[in-house]
Amino acid sequence: MKATTSNVQRSTLNAQLAARTSLGVGRWTLDVGRFPVLRITMQILAFIIAAIFIFAALIKILDIDQLVIDVIHLRFAAALQNLKHLSLRDPVGFARDIDNYNLLPWPVAVVLALYLPWLEIFSGLALVTRRLYRGGLLILTLLTTVFIAASIVAKARGLDISCGCFGHVSKGWSFGWHLLLDFGILGALVTLLLQPERLKTSARESRE
Amino acid sequence: VRLPHRLRPRRLLRAINVKLGAIRPALLLLTLAIVPAIVGGVYHREKISWRSRIPASEIVDLDLVRSWDGNVIWVDARPDNEYEQDHIPGALLVNEDRWNELLPPFLAQWSPEKKVVVYCSTKSCNLAGDVARRLREEAQLQNVFVLEGGWEEWLRKK
Repeated sequence: MKATTSNVQRSTLNAQLAARTSLGVGRWTLDVGRFPVLRITMQILAFIIAAIFIFAALIKILDIDQLVIDVIHLRFAAALQNLKHLSLRDPVGFARDIDNYNLLPWPVAVVLALYLPWLEIFSGLALVTRRLYRGGLLILTLLTTVFIAASIVAKARGLDISCGCFGHVSKGWSFGWHLLLDFGILGALVTLLLQPERLKTSARESRE
Repeated sequence: VRLPHRLRPRRLLRAINVKLGAIRPALLLLTLAIVPAIVGGVYHREKISWRSRIPASEIVDLDLVRSWDGNVIWVDARPDNEYEQDHIPGALLVNEDRWNELLPPFLAQWSPEKKVVVYCSTKSCNLAGDVARRLREEAQLQNVFVLEGGWEEWLRKK
């Protein structure tokens, strides 16, 4: 009787461990625990996604266009000088970018211009620190999905939009490149979101 | 139309929450972000215009422009084809499509004692504000205004 109980417990523990370290849902589950390289890749992917969103947010909050240009051109002395004169960016610029989509009233665009960058920062930090991790992933996935849909709708309506996402860095990008990057980010977010860290043991796994 | 049981919104949300454990932390993050957003709003309160993307001080109506007795340079911010169809007599074309090309001829005609009034149509309603802003910021011009009601207002009161 004692041995039976411990076997059941062991089976459940194994199933829980498998669920915690597997990637995907249902029949498409891939056991990440068996592939340490894959697990590390997922963590790196989370860091990259977090860095992209935090950078995109900072460029909307702080006036760092010149700083970014200096860093890109490896002018570190000038970048340090710019860092000393760092100032807050006027949110009206980002509000104008949102308003250009012609989807929302102006006051809503202003509220979003004040709110979205901070939401991106908090969600990005959630990915880095792994606190509220799933919430951060869900928010960033929804934001990216809404953004892609709004971009496609705006393009279909013939609007010449600038998303204002990455400031100077993305100024020369075509709509196609923007969309490609956005779908890449969305794919990465969905992949991370499907890592069932807290997935409850499924009946199939329990049986095994 | 009745959705299949698995696709009903409440069930779908519960599935996301149970399977991914994401709803509660997401709500917490959504709430946290409100605080700095409010602080930012208070900090930038002087710069933010809540009623329109163009501050009220930069918008002028047609009657006021007429009272300036012709001491005005009209700037048409609409696309080339709309300008070619018709425009305010004497208006100069300066749009964002050909900004670098159209700015020099405009600056050649500009003089500091003249006020600049930019207009566009309701179909391209954001253009006038953007061109006016660039004239102020990039060309360093002062006394640049946007015509309230744009081209349609001009046609109505012509």
